[in-house]
Amino acid sequence: MKALKTIILTLVLPGLVMGSLLFAGTSYAQEASVEVVPAETFLSPALIKQPVTFKGNGFVPKEMISIEMILPEGVTIKGVGPGEDVGIAMGNADEKGSFTAAMQPTATLNWFFQVGWTPLLTPNFKEAKPIPPGDYKIRATGLDSDKVAYSTMRIVPPPKKKE
Amino acid sequence: MGKQVRMFLKAALMISLGVVCLTGVASAKEVMYLSLADYTGPIAGLNVPGDMGLEDFIKDVNAKGGVDGVTIKFIGIDTRYDVARAVSAYKRYRRTPRLLMVNSISTGIGKAVAPLIEKDKRLQMVPGDGEFQAHLGRSFIWGPAYQDAFAAMMDWVMADWKKKGKSGAPVVGYLSWDNPYGREPLRGGKEYAEKIGIKLLPPEFFPPGTLKHDVYLTRLANAGANYILAGGVDPTPTNIIRDGYNLGLTKTIQFMTDYWGPTALGIGVHAEALEGTVIISFFQRGEDARNNPVVTDLWKRYRGSMDKFNEVYGMGMSWGMTYLAGLKIALKAAGYEKLEADDMYKAYQKLTGLNKYDIQGPCAYSPTSRLGSKLVKIYRVKAGKIVPITGWREAPNAVALHTF
Repeated sequence: MKALKTIILTLVLPGLVMGSLLFAGTSYAQEASVEVVPAETFLSPALIKQPVTFKGNGFVPKEMISIEMILPEGVTIKGVGPGEDVGIAMGNADEKGSFTAAMQPTATLNWFFQVGWTPLLTPNFKEAKPIPPGDYKIRATGLDSDKVAYSTMRIVPPPKKKE
Repeated sequence: MGKQVRMFLKAALMISLGVVCLTGVASAKEVMYLSLADYTGPIAGLNVPGDMGLEDFIKDVNAKGGVDGVTIKFIGIDTRYDVARAVSAYKRYRRTPRLLMVNSISTGIGKAVAPLIEKDKRLQMVPGDGEFQAHLGRSFIWGPAYQDAFAAMMDWVMADWKKKGKSGAPVVGYLSWDNPYGREPLRGGKEYAEKIGIKLLPPEFFPPGTLKHDVYLTRLANAGANYILAGGVDPTPTNIIRDGYNLGLTKTIQFMTDYWGPTALGIGVHAEALEGTVIISFFQRGEDARNNPVVTDLWKRYRGSMDKFNEVYGMGMSWGMTYLAGLKIALKAAGYEKLEADDMYKAYQKLTGLNKYDIQGPCAYSPTSRLGSKLVKIYRVKAGKIVPITGWREAPNAVALHTF
């Protein structure tokens, strides 16, 4: 009887505990991840119609996700204070904790191109100051769970025009 | 020896002063106000004077010692009218102690932030989306809902039509931005217009940033519009009416705008085209605002000359008045140490009847109302000035006519 108790305590109980831990809500245990699509891009007006998109997994079902660009040292953006990160997209996780969020035109115009705005509410590209090419760290945060995932978006110089 | 003692005493004094200063800083009592604003984006022209009025009002409160020694810290974020930036900014500040209120400058931002506001047991102020009155929550609108103002405008149309001795039903056209704000006035407003016998033409929606509005205006004119209500945030309505003027339509069609129609901004550019335009507003405009000493005194004290005055400044002051009154109630109920955002939410529901010095009608917030006020006033552009043509009048409840 004593031997049976020992077997239960040393093998079965830990097994049950481990098993239940592994079984308990895979979405909660799963590490969050985010991917930038495309991971490398150059700034062009085509991004208004085919915007940079973010895809992620491992968040809590139905939670809101905020996608932010972490500015490298020396890069400033109009309207953004020093040390602040810039929200560039948002989305909602589905039942499985996955999401897809595309940059809206205002986000592309404000944060990639840094356009001015005319009194007619049209973007003023004459005042534009596009962010420099380089690697930009991207952070996706689940606003219920505080789960965080990182990725990198590479902005490259536009291809040279053929002569 | 004497020199050493003096040095020791000096050092001791400096350390003591430092400690006193640090203690003073640590014990400063402060509450926060977060503005998810637009200072350099498409609607900056109206938002900047609004937040100037609010900031000056807060400065004035703080200069007088705050509320029982509690001062207000204004945090203004330039979202450039971008929802993702606003959500990220709210994320950054949502755990700030005693962040009692958030002002969301656009309908889109308000709708995006609303679920987080609910979770955080906070409150936000939003422009005029009637859905927040239909489904009571923690989003409070600045004045009457957009559809209520639309309905009040339809009442004015009917009265104007009869006054002119016309028979039959007036035909009204509506054009605005193709977004949630642009469509909102018709969610209940359409039902109201039909109820009082107005013939409402199919609405025309266009993307923000549209340069010319001739196509939409011509379509409405050809369909027999007697009145046209131009939506959008200024300068859009000003530009619509400018196009109407250039097409010769302002001679035969009465043009009207909602809350975000011409202010000093539009009048300064297109006074001739705007002549005769009718504007509905929940806050004082034009000459009314320029003659309100509560508004002009604060402006002159902090901004000097009235040359660059814009009446939206008064609306910003009104936001501050609401916050101040709410803070007083919340502090009384919870005390500073235990003060939480939820206390402000409860306090806002007790602000029914709060006097806003005629900048807008009395506050209508209550446990069953999220309307900043129920009154609207109708103005007309006359000789390059915006003058009232009615007194304050209660806007009909058009929200109740729509199924949300």
